Amino acid sequence: MVDGAVAAVIEVTDLKKTYLTPFARRRVEALRGVTFSVEEGQIFGFVGPNGAGKTTTIRTLMGLIRATSGTAKLLGHTIPSRAARQRVGFLPEAPYFYDYLTVPELLDLAGRLFGVPSALRKKRADELIERVGLARARSQSLKKFSKGMLQRAGLAQALMNDPELVVLDEPMSGLDPIGRKEVRDLIVSLREAGKTVFFSTHILSDVEAMTDRVAIIARGALQTTGTPAELVAKTILGVDVTVRLPADQELGDLAATAKNVRRSGEEISLVLPAAADVDAWIAQAHTIGAKIVQVSPRHETLEDLFLREIAAADRSAAATEGRT
Amino acid sequence: MTGRIWAIALNTFREAVRIRVLYGILVLLLGANLMSFVLGSMAATDSARVTSDVGLAGISLFGSLTAIFLGVFLLYGEVQRRTIHTIVSKPIERWEFVVGKYFGMALVLSVLVGAFSLAMFGILILKDVAITSSIIKAILMSWCEVLVVAAIAIFFSSFSTPFLSGIFALALWVIGRITPDLEAATQAASPVIRTITKVTLYIVPDLHLFAVSGRTVDGAQVSVHSDFVSWGYVGLSSLHALGWIAGLLALAGVLFSRRDFG
Repeated sequence: MVDGAVAAVIEVTDLKKTYLTPFARRRVEALRGVTFSVEEGQIFGFVGPNGAGKTTTIRTLMGLIRATSGTAKLLGHTIPSRAARQRVGFLPEAPYFYDYLTVPELLDLAGRLFGVPSALRKKRADELIERVGLARARSQSLKKFSKGMLQRAGLAQALMNDPELVVLDEPMSGLDPIGRKEVRDLIVSLREAGKTVFFSTHILSDVEAMTDRVAIIARGALQTTGTPAELVAKTILGVDVTVRLPADQELGDLAATAKNVRRSGEEISLVLPAAADVDAWIAQAHTIGAKIVQVSPRHETLEDLFLREIAAADRSAAATEGRT
Repeated sequence: MTGRIWAIALNTFREAVRIRVLYGILVLLLGANLMSFVLGSMAATDSARVTSDVGLAGISLFGSLTAIFLGVFLLYGEVQRRTIHTIVSKPIERWEFVVGKYFGMALVLSVLVGAFSLAMFGILILKDVAITSSIIKAILMSWCEVLVVAAIAIFFSSFSTPFLSGIFALALWVIGRITPDLEAATQAASPVIRTITKVTLYIVPDLHLFAVSGRTVDGAQVSVHSDFVSWGYVGLSSLHALGWIAGLLALAGVLFSRRDFG
């Protein structure tokens, strides 16, 4: 590694996974050459609609399924690697645990599998139970847990080895707004503790709120990757303008270049196209006595980007299917 | 390694003792003991003989059926309920998981065989019958049989559904129990049938080795009620069991390692 360079904690190169359907033996390409890397200390959001390949990628990384081709490394180890799994915490999607266990028993099992010594296992389990807010449910069997409580128990077991890398598959799934906020805070605190967090989601507000980098996956292929700021700052969709004009006066020709013109008393709000000459428009507005209240460029949001990338992937897939 | 295997074994034991069907089997086992007591009392001669025969047959039958039941459901259940996702994503090898599951099952089955043996001893004591080394040897061999059957069930469960695994394991148990009869029955058959039988008997665990009372071993008639097998025979048949268990678990480990858990 070059001095000063940040180590890649996850390196995925041209990862492919193809399934054969049981009877028809039809090929289903779940992953079609996925490549990305996650650097140390980042919170990396892996975003995509249902069926995009998020969970397949994560399960491949965690050694649950084998890739058809391509390579992946976790913490420098080519997968599947027991040595890598020793340093990784994993929360599966919609986790299922042994419902006859209590949280301390589940954490004890996880700790034993990680080889955590007995005294430390007990201490760490107690800390994690407090941290995920399950102290009052510690003597209940998991059978009686709500979906949100199971998710918290899953997070706790993923942290039993004090991992360097935490992989979370849909960690906010099934949580109420307060629970989501708590999990977000937990993820941020993990980054503050120097850990790398890789999580999948389709909840874009969670991604915008805390990720350092984002990758959007659709139809088994990576569509784009970058920091949220990079991804959404690239494109200006238009300029939001608000002006004040006496009620008996009209915008006239100025309205012709604008979209979504709405008037409420003296206040008029409108959107100028990204290509419009905003300075010229404002100067002309001054000439008719309009007072400028607000001018702000409208950047593409992560949601806009997400929908655009998904639509592009759908069009590309439709074109491919049309050719075959 | 041993810590991880023990963790899985302990958890499997916890899981198995919560299966209500097992308690039904325990009741059946005690019922069989009670039946042996009643049948023994009704027998015109040698009621102790009937008691121990029914008791030993009960250990073998119920123990083996329980082994098949646990073997086909416990491993498959992990995949079906997706609890396996949390486990195999930890630093544990798949074969360690299979071996851990097996040890957990073996622990449950050993407790079951132990409980049934104690019940049988109780009845024999009630009837004022001495508990001979022959009975101890027969119980040990039945225990070996049950453990081999559990390994057979785990082996099939590593790649198949509970229904098919159950059918296969049951078929192997039946064939394994009647190996000399099968060999004898095909003596007069065509060479093709004889060859098929010979090959089949090579690849099927010879469970008959563990239930020899009333049969001929090395030209001598053996019976748990009179001259029974030596401790040397018990030792060798235990090694035979160990060999099959190790082989079946190794194969199960390899097959399980190749599976995708999607």
